[in-house]
Amino acid sequence: STAAVLDEALLAKLVCPLAKTPLRYDVEQQLLINDELGVGYPVVNGVPYLMPTRGRMLHQEGQEEGQQAGHS
Amino acid sequence: MRLLSTTDPLPHQPPAGSNIINSSSRSSDTNAEDTEDVIDFGFKTVPRQQKEALVGQVFSNVASSYDIMNDLMSGGLHRLWKHRLVETLAPFAGMQHLDVAGGTGDVAFRVLRAIQTAEQIDRQQPQQWQAQQPQQQPGQQQQQQQQQQGAVTVFDINAEMLEVGKQRARAQGLATGLSWVQGNAEQLPFPDACMDSYTVAFGIRNVTDRHAALCEAHRVLRRGGRLLCLEFSQVSLPLLRQVYDAYSFNVIPKIGGLVAHDEASYQYLVESIRQFPDQESWADQIRDAGFKAVTYENLTGGVVAIHSGFKL
Repeated sequence: STAAVLDEALLAKLVCPLAKTPLRYDVEQQLLINDELGVGYPVVNGVPYLMPTRGRMLHQEGQEEGQQAGHS
Repeated sequence: MRLLSTTDPLPHQPPAGSNIINSSSRSSDTNAEDTEDVIDFGFKTVPRQQKEALVGQVFSNVASSYDIMNDLMSGGLHRLWKHRLVETLAPFAGMQHLDVAGGTGDVAFRVLRAIQTAEQIDRQQPQQWQAQQPQQQPGQQQQQQQQQQGAVTVFDINAEMLEVGKQRARAQGLATGLSWVQGNAEQLPFPDACMDSYTVAFGIRNVTDRHAALCEAHRVLRRGGRLLCLEFSQVSLPLLRQVYDAYSFNVIPKIGGLVAHDEASYQYLVESIRQFPDQESWADQIRDAGFKAVTYENLTGGVVAIHSGFKL
């Protein structure tokens, strides 16, 4: 089975690698978001990429977000 | 579609013959001992910031042939070593386990199977289990039995290694109870005290800041939780040491060149083994991170060692 979406059971066990606080899963953008820090980590093929350097500052990249959503 | 951060220092396809310039600065550099800005990369010395990307390139290069090369390099011995590691771990029903730097899944699959075996045994012996519990409604008992299901999380910094691992899991029919997470061992994306056990097999020597990785291991373990580290160590017997050195430096990179078409990566692997601290020094470093009852067991004359520590 192709698990392109993050398993919700796994989500419950994950936290932000920097702040160690819970993350919100944005299914559309395939991002795990720390709302407090405004950081989003990518989920690719159901695998969360939770390296601090993979985190993108969301409020600074509003434009890029729009472009990403347009790709498929 | 592939999501890549603009600050991503790890190329998915390593460019041929180019230098890795890591332009992203490290998010935190809190290690008090970290006064030098260079670090070992095998026998070379590189800027500290570059090690992660350089190691990343090595493992992206070797990922597809990793398991074959393990067999060739160790003459199949790595299977025995990993078996001993999991035997020492003694997985139990409902265990929450974290396998770090275990991208291709070798250790994780063994642990998962052992957990599932233990759970099967538990289900087949309900009388023994019930005798130890206070009087309960049948419905409650069933619920309790289902609550603690074992889970193994495979954690690796390298996407290619995880991808190989996922494919292997599919081929072996393993799915339930297995999770895949990418990240840095120095900054684990798991809450405090959520794991019963933590293994790292042949991965810790590639981590830039090993002390940070050990502290993170300590943080995510529950009280009573155990760290087990399987890693190449120092051979003390002179004759065996000579043979081992000759084999390592003359044979292994050549095999890497022939089988994986990548002599340089295997040269790094062999050199990184020599740069790793000896058994006692490594045990001390594990103690420095807060672990108690730290011990080690030599295998194959010290070619590898299993280090163990508890969070108490």
